[in-house]
Amino acid sequence: MKTYFYSHIIETESLIVEIEKMGLSDEQKTHLIGLIESNLHHVILDAILSELSTEDKKKFLEHVAREKHEEIWGLLRNKVDNIEEKIKKAADDLKRELHEDIKEVKEKD
Amino acid sequence: MPQKNYTPHYEHLKNKWTEKHRGLQRRLWEKHKDSLEWFAKQTHHLAAGSLAGLLFLASPSGMTTRPTPSVQVLDESIDKSAFLISDLQNNLPKDVRPLLSEEEDRIGGILTERYGFHVTAEFEGKKLNRSYGLIGAEQHLMRYPGDTMATHFATAEEVGKYTSSGMAPGRGAWGYFANSQAEMTEQDSMREKYYIAVQTFLTPGYNENVREYSQFFKYRKMLVVNPQNGHAVIAVIGDAGPAEWTGKHLGGSPEVMKHLERVDGSQRGPVLYYFVDDPGDTIPLGPVNVK
Repeated sequence: MKTYFYSHIIETESLIVEIEKMGLSDEQKTHLIGLIESNLHHVILDAILSELSTEDKKKFLEHVAREKHEEIWGLLRNKVDNIEEKIKKAADDLKRELHEDIKEVKEKD
Repeated sequence: MPQKNYTPHYEHLKNKWTEKHRGLQRRLWEKHKDSLEWFAKQTHHLAAGSLAGLLFLASPSGMTTRPTPSVQVLDESIDKSAFLISDLQNNLPKDVRPLLSEEEDRIGGILTERYGFHVTAEFEGKKLNRSYGLIGAEQHLMRYPGDTMATHFATAEEVGKYTSSGMAPGRGAWGYFANSQAEMTEQDSMREKYYIAVQTFLTPGYNENVREYSQFFKYRKMLVVNPQNGHAVIAVIGDAGPAEWTGKHLGGSPEVMKHLERVDGSQRGPVLYYFVDDPGDTIPLGPVNVK
């Protein structure tokens, strides 16, 4: 699994465990886990960009494209209060929805 | 418990999360469009493919292949291309292998939705040996008896771009495109310009019904997509090949390869190729953009 600049503060294990329990093929599991990751990636980018000025958005995007994790965090911590908490909240809100979706399909058994 | 019993769970979650994904993509683009467009434009080596790479790093297959660098001028469709690339990255396997039936259907659905016309891996009960494979470079084909590199190009620009590819020594699998230069139509010319060679001889059922299959594949219209940059062309099947030992799964005319930004040799890469359902023959050959 690829490491993103936010990987150390966002856990996806709880969702992956639930996917693992469903008895899906490897292809199916990989696909669903990928959708989880990609959805999280989008909400995290949105949460961050929404906190930045136009100029800082540009710097942030450049750092992300070049995978300069230290520079990303340097920028974010300097420009946004409690950025880790904001990222976590955005991710947690989405993860809660995804858990609900899993629960819903399991209840159909 | 048998895996089959759980397929509805997978389908349900896949559909729901794919829809969610599209909504998030849309929202992200709408909210931050100015910054995202600026980013793509100011880094000249980054275009649609790389913008997608920036935004949609997460790939379910763990695919680490970066989108092909491009110097194409950005246009208003960049965001749409980025979404297509993201969708494909989220649905293609890590390895370039024959797609499973459900994968073919899923990707066919994505291409149909994104391009606005129906494409399918199986058409009229027939399908190729694969719909996702490595493409190699083919040469120009003789369109009519006597066609040479000196007569082949209509403009100086084409001469500059495509002369180096050379012309195949023999005819294509279905012979000349026209009986003579005088009889050659615009359609004949476009068919040669935008042709692919596919492994018709490896398709299921081919050996049992050579004539029928050969007629079916002849100039059959296909959508060919580079999933790493979203470039696509409508092409016809104009030749059979390449041989299995080459390790390649299909070939593209010089014009097809140029537009897809695909190259032969060690840097060769994969494309998707699907039948286009175009009963009225209204979809023109050549480059095509997402709608």
